Amino acid sequence: MIIETRNLTKTYEAGQEQVHALRGVDFQADAGDFVVINGPSGSGKTTFLNLLSCIDLPTQGEVLIEGQAVSQLASGSLAEVRRDKIGLVFQAFNLIPVLSTFENIEYPMLLKGVPPKERKEKVNQLLEEVDLVKEGSRRPDQLSGGQKQRVAVARALVNDPVLFLADEPTGNLDSKTSERIMDIMKRLNQNHKVTFIVVTHNLEVNEYAKRVVYIRDGQLTEEQKR
Amino acid sequence: MGLQFQIAMRNLFRNGRRTLLSLAIIALGTAMSFAVRGYVESSLTNIQAGIVQQNGNFQIASPLLFDNEAEGYEYLIFPEDVETIRMALSQYPEVVDVSMGLNFSGLASFGRRSKVLRGIATRPGNTALDYNDLVIEGEGLKPEDQGKVLIGQSLADERNLKPGDVFRVNLSTVDGAYNVGSLEVAGVFSLNSQQFEGQLIFVPIDYVQALLNTNGIGNLIIQLNDIEDSRRVADMVEGELQSMGLNLEARTWDELSEFYQQIKGFFNALFVFLTVAVSVLVFFIVLQVLTMAFLERTREVGTIRALGTKTNQVFFMFITEGVFLGVLGGLSGALLGWLISLGFNALNIGWTPPGALDPVPISITASLEVALVPFLVGLIATSFSALFPSLRSAKVNIVDALRTR
Ligand SMILES: Nc1ncnc2c1ncn2[C@@H]1O[C@H](COP(=O)(O)OP(=O)(O)O)[C@@H](O)[C@H]1O
Ligand SMILES: [Mg+2]
Repeated sequence: MIIETRNLTKTYEAGQEQVHALRGVDFQADAGDFVVINGPSGSGKTTFLNLLSCIDLPTQGEVLIEGQAVSQLASGSLAEVRRDKIGLVFQAFNLIPVLSTFENIEYPMLLKGVPPKERKEKVNQLLEEVDLVKEGSRRPDQLSGGQKQRVAVARALVNDPVLFLADEPTGNLDSKTSERIMDIMKRLNQNHKVTFIVVTHNLEVNEYAKRVVYIRDGQLTEEQKR
Repeated sequence: MGLQFQIAMRNLFRNGRRTLLSLAIIALGTAMSFAVRGYVESSLTNIQAGIVQQNGNFQIASPLLFDNEAEGYEYLIFPEDVETIRMALSQYPEVVDVSMGLNFSGLASFGRRSKVLRGIATRPGNTALDYNDLVIEGEGLKPEDQGKVLIGQSLADERNLKPGDVFRVNLSTVDGAYNVGSLEVAGVFSLNSQQFEGQLIFVPIDYVQALLNTNGIGNLIIQLNDIEDSRRVADMVEGELQSMGLNLEARTWDELSEFYQQIKGFFNALFVFLTVAVSVLVFFIVLQVLTMAFLERTREVGTIRALGTKTNQVFFMFITEGVFLGVLGGLSGALLGWLISLGFNALNIGWTPPGALDPVPISITASLEVALVPFLVGLIATSFSALFPSLRSAKVNIVDALRTR
């Protein structure tokens, strides 16, 4: 089991009101899974993914990554879990503007202290896999949306995470570009044997999934296996 | 960490206009501090040189004389001890000249009016107490002169005296007897001080000793090659004299000049006050600018935190940017201050201090030593400005940060 959640609960305090964004979610994913999470806007998908990414902590319940409960970890150890085990892709790409394509992909390896030669090899290999060899020295503002998201995908995989998480990765892309990104992700999922969990409300994406999970009102309501 | 450092450097120049604005503010503050520091340094150096030239690097005398506690002439040093002291001093290659001094006061009569004068006995030709350089009318004292005197210009004007004129001084000898001396004006000196010119007279020491009926002297005035040696040599000599059982002290020029202590205190206070005011101003302005610059990058902070960057690494990245801004600002400020001082010195501006008769030149010393404190002030003020926004950026909530636009 790569990732597991137990009774995962998140309640936001919004003024006087409480927003129950997640109401006790039990979820599991195995190595190499490709899970798509569907659900209407406001149903709790981002909240769920934030908890899986270890950038937010649950009100109740637990996230276990490779069997390790993460909610008790100190901030520094949590950062190491994110750095070493998790690859993240955002809807708005979130590349570092002052770094080139190459450097953006390299960044997580530098955090980890990977030696230069190994870094170079790994980045070049990923640049090839996402078809950006020629764009290596460009800054993000010189890239198209699709190119930026491919950089982000490569960056997410560079430290060989066990878990690849993406929150609406095609939300800012046109349908043709989206398809390309999804194809690349599908291929990388097969090549890298990483567990992919992708949030989207784009139903076309479902055809890429090995599993589709629905979130409604903070609850995991259905699951459809393929 | 290398990349964090690189990101900091690139972020620094990301918004060129804003960085330039910050740099300009830090540089102006630093340059201003530099100018004040340089002015203080130059003024103190001038004053120092004047004092050391007239009063020696240090003097040897009885504490009674130094502290003005003598009732009569019990502080006098007699030839035997003078010889011992000279022997001791001859061991030091730093010593370039030893002069003897003897002060007295007397009532001078000019016709029916009289005036108290302060007399300084000198041995004409000595390096210290050689006021011959200051003579503007008539001539200086010569070694063979006996009843001759140098008077100040103010006194000359006041009493209508000119070289060749003679006046009398009434004084008491060391044993309390009444005595009268007759002094012929050899020359008139100018000291650029109304008070000194009106009161001081210089008389050859042999003649003064005869008038006072003594062979003792008041003090020995020691000139050294280098002003920096004053303290060290004075301490060693004093130790030596005391170990020989002489109740004498060696006091350095700065200990002897109350005026110097006061002006130094005043100048330093001026520098500290202006520099603190300037750095507070720089601090608040740069704080504003950096707060804005760092807040604009909240989303990026959220991103790199989500990728696994630790809070201390984020802090390091931002503080590096701030410190580097401070280094650049401090350096440009030091450079600007240097240019300002060169320009200012080229203008040759003079200023007449209160009580002085002629203008003294105002200049700004430009040296690495002068530049150091203003540079550090610019650097530290900027680093402090960066501290709070850096801490805040490092501590952002990742989810909230990722949601900002
Ligand atoms: N920080 C927050 N404070 C208060 N309410 C929040 C916060 N984040 C999300 N919510 C609320 O929680 C619910 C789930 O939000 P979210 O997880 O973003 O849904 P989705 O990603 O499926 O659109 C929504 O009602 C949303 O308004
Ligand atoms: Mg969402």
